[in-house]
Amino acid sequence: MLRPISLAAALMVSASALVAEEFRWAETTDPQTMDPHAVNSAAVLGFLNNVYEGLVRRGKDMTIEPALATAWEPIGAGEGWRFTLRQGVTFHDGSTFDAQDVLFSYQRASDEASDTRSWFAPVSDVKVVDDYTVDIMTTAPNPIFPDSIANWMMMDSGWAEANNAARPDKDNGNFATLNANGTGAFQLTTREPGLRTVLEPFGGWWDEAEHNITRAELTPIQNPATAVAALLSGDVDFINPVPIQDTARLAANDQVKVIQGIEARVIMLGFPHEAEALKYSAETTDRNPFADVRVRQAVAHAINVPAILQTIMRGNAEEVSQLVSPAMRGFSASLAARPAFDPDKARALLAEAGYPEGFSFGLKCPNDRYLNDESVCQAITGMLAQVGVRATLDAMPVQNYWPELRADNYDMYLLGWSPGTFDAEHPIRFLASTPNEERKLGSWNFGGFSNARVDELLPMVQSEIDDAKRQAMLDESAKILQDEMAYVPLYVQPLVWGAQANIDLTQRPDNFFLLRWVTIN
Amino acid sequence: MLAYVIQRVFQSAIVLLVVGLVAFSMFRFVGDPVDNMLGQERTQADIERLRTQLGLDQPFPVQYFKFLTGAAQGNFGVSYRQGRPVSDILVERAPATLELAAVSGFLAISIGIALGVFTAIRRNGFAAHAIMSVSLIGVSLPTFLIGILLIYLFSVELGWLPSFGRGDTVKIGGWSTGFLTESGLKALILPSITLGLYQMTLIMRLVRSEMLEVLRQDYIRFARARGLRERAVNFRHALKNTLVPVITVTGLQLGSIIAFAIITETVFQWPGVGLLFINAIQFVDIPVMAAYLMLISVMFVGINLIVDLLYFAIDPRLRVDRTAAH
Repeated sequence: MLRPISLAAALMVSASALVAEEFRWAETTDPQTMDPHAVNSAAVLGFLNNVYEGLVRRGKDMTIEPALATAWEPIGAGEGWRFTLRQGVTFHDGSTFDAQDVLFSYQRASDEASDTRSWFAPVSDVKVVDDYTVDIMTTAPNPIFPDSIANWMMMDSGWAEANNAARPDKDNGNFATLNANGTGAFQLTTREPGLRTVLEPFGGWWDEAEHNITRAELTPIQNPATAVAALLSGDVDFINPVPIQDTARLAANDQVKVIQGIEARVIMLGFPHEAEALKYSAETTDRNPFADVRVRQAVAHAINVPAILQTIMRGNAEEVSQLVSPAMRGFSASLAARPAFDPDKARALLAEAGYPEGFSFGLKCPNDRYLNDESVCQAITGMLAQVGVRATLDAMPVQNYWPELRADNYDMYLLGWSPGTFDAEHPIRFLASTPNEERKLGSWNFGGFSNARVDELLPMVQSEIDDAKRQAMLDESAKILQDEMAYVPLYVQPLVWGAQANIDLTQRPDNFFLLRWVTIN
Repeated sequence: MLAYVIQRVFQSAIVLLVVGLVAFSMFRFVGDPVDNMLGQERTQADIERLRTQLGLDQPFPVQYFKFLTGAAQGNFGVSYRQGRPVSDILVERAPATLELAAVSGFLAISIGIALGVFTAIRRNGFAAHAIMSVSLIGVSLPTFLIGILLIYLFSVELGWLPSFGRGDTVKIGGWSTGFLTESGLKALILPSITLGLYQMTLIMRLVRSEMLEVLRQDYIRFARARGLRERAVNFRHALKNTLVPVITVTGLQLGSIIAFAIITETVFQWPGVGLLFINAIQFVDIPVMAAYLMLISVMFVGINLIVDLLYFAIDPRLRVDRTAAH
C-alpha cells in the first residue's frame, strides 16, 4: 500500500516542479539593506518595490497610479493632500493595513536616521482622519507631492515595534535590515547579504498578479563578463546591466534577448562658475575663461554628441538639450534642440571672448560611475582640442571623485543626474539653484552657478497648482539655463538589460526591475 | 631555543603592526565612504555629521589606534555597507574561501607532483614535452583570463558546469559546506582549477628539476647498480629526497592561494572573503578592508613563523651556529 502512495507523491512533486516557474536574476549591486527607509539608493528602492508598496506607484509608463491609496485630492487651496486608503490590504505577516501604518511610516521615513527624510521637507503634518483616510499637510501648495512619494513605502507599525525596528538603523542594522514585511506582490523568504536574496509570491496580495513566477532569486554578480557568461549558459534568466560592448553579441544570439531603452539619467559637463582662476592651466592662471558664457557656448558647439553616441555608446543613447530627458514631467518641448556641432562657431566664440589661441585646463571625470564615462571624457578631450581648448583629463574612481568636486579641484567636470521625482523641478533644485545649506538648495551645484530669476522661479514652480502656468515657469528656467549654458547637457544614459528569449518583462526608465511584470513562457 | 622563538614572535608582531599602519594610511586614498552611505539628496551638513560619527575626521593614526584597541578585544567594528559586525560577516564568508583553497591546494599538490615525477622520469618522451609546453600556459596566463576561458568552454559552450557561485550549501554548525551537494561539488571544479593552476605548474616544475638533480646523484646510481627495481629507485629513494624543498615551497604557497583567491572569487562570483574584500574596496568599507588585511597578514606572518621554527627544528646547523654565537 505504501508504494503507490509514494509513487503518487513522487509524481506530484515532479508535476509541481514542471509548473514551478523559478526565476533567477543577477545585478551588479546587491541592495545594501531591506529597510525601505534607511537608504535612498536606486538599488535598494528598486528591489524593495517588489516587496513593499507606497500609497501610489508608477506604472509601466512611469505614470502615477493608485496603490495603497485608491484616490487623492488637494485639500482646500493647496494646504495639503487627502489620501483615501485601500481597504482589505494585509501585510505579509497577516496584519491589516490602515491609517495608523501610514502615520507610522511617515514618522519612520522622516526620522533623523532615515535617508528618505528630504522627501518630507514640504510636509508640515500628517493627520489620521479615520481608519482609511489620511491628510498630509504641506507648508506650501505642492502640486507634485503625490508624484514625489511613489517610493515612500508603507511598513506595519506593529511589526516594526515588536521587532525593535521603529526607527531605521543604518549604522548598526536592526531587524528590518535583514527582514521585510510589506504589502507587495512578493515576500522575502531568504536574505543573505551579498550572496542571495529569495522572494516568493504573496498569496494575499490585493492586486491581480500578472506574473507567473513561483520563486525568484537575486544573486549579485559584480564582474560583467561573469554575468554575461551566466546569462549565455542559462544559469540566470536576467541580467542588469549588459555591458555596452557585449550588446551586439548578445543580440545576435537566439537564446537570449537584449532590452534597450534610455534611463532617466542625463550626462552633462559642469563648470567652475565662481572660481577666480583656472586651477590646472599651464598658461591661463590669472583668469577663469569658463566664467564667460561665450566660452561655455563654445564648449557646447565643439562637442560632437552624435559621434560619441555612435561610437562609444554603440548607438544606444539619445542626445539631450536640458537637465532632464524628454520622458520626464516638465520637459520643455520648445527647447528640445541641442546646440549644433559647429567647430567654426566654437572657434569664433572663443576668439570673441578673448581666447583666439584657446587655453589649457583640467577636466575631471569618474571612471566607474556612468556607462563608459572615461571613454566619453577622452572623446570630449579630443573634440575640444580641435577648437584649441586643451584639456588634461584626470579620471578616477567615483569614491575619490566626489571629494575632489566638493573641494573644487576641477576646471570642468562630468556629472550624471537622475531626477528622483521624475520632474524637471528636481535638477533645478539640486544643480541650478544658488547653493543654500539651510534651505537645502543647490547641494550638487559644485560650480556655484547662480541666477536670480532661476532662484526666484523655483519656489513658484514648487507651489504652482495649475499645470500650464507651472510649465511656463519651467520653460523660462530651462531657457535661462540653456542661454547661460550653466551646464552642457550631452546625452541620456542608455539602459541595456539582457534576458533569456522566453522571458517577457517591462523596462522602466528609472531602471527599476519589477518582478510583477515578468512572464516566463 | 626559547630566546630564538621569542625573538621571532616579537618580530612577527612588529610586522603586523606596520602592515596595519600602512593599510590605514592608504585608506584615505581609496576614497570617501560617505557618498555611498548618503543618498542623492544629502546636504553638506549630513556629510559632515556622518564623517564625525564614523571618526573619519580624525587623523589616521588615531583611527588606527581605535581599530587596534577594538581588534584586541575581538571587535572589528561594523561594516559600512551591510550594517553588521565585520566579524560575523568574515565568519560567514570564510568557509567558502577555505574550501576553495583546500581543493585548489590538493589539486595543485597531487597533480603537480605526479606530473613532475612523470616529466622527470620520461624527460625525453613526447608526452613529457607536451606537458611542459602546456604548463607554460599555467605560468604565463593571468588567472582571470583562465577563469573566463574555462567558463566559456565548460559553462557557455558545453553547459556542463555552473558559470558562477557556490551551488547549494549545507550548514554544519556555523560552517557552510559545498562538499555535500552535487551542485556544490560541480561549482568547485572550475574555480579550484583556476586558482590552483599556477601553483600546480610551479610544483610540477620544481619537482621535475629537483628530481632530475637527485637522479644524477651517486646513491641513485648505486641503487640501480644493486639491481633495485626502477619503481623502487624512483619513488622510494629519489622522490622522497625531492620532497623536502617541495614541502617548504608548498607551505609558503598556501598563503598565496588564499590571498590570490580574490581574483578567482571575483571571476566566479565565489562568495568568499576575497570577493567581500573587492566589494569593500568599491564601497570604501573601511572596517571590512582593515579586518581582511589584518587577517591575511596574520596568516602570512603565522605561516612564516612556523616555517622559521621548523627550520630551526629540522636544520641542526642553524641550531649549532646560534648556540655557538651566543
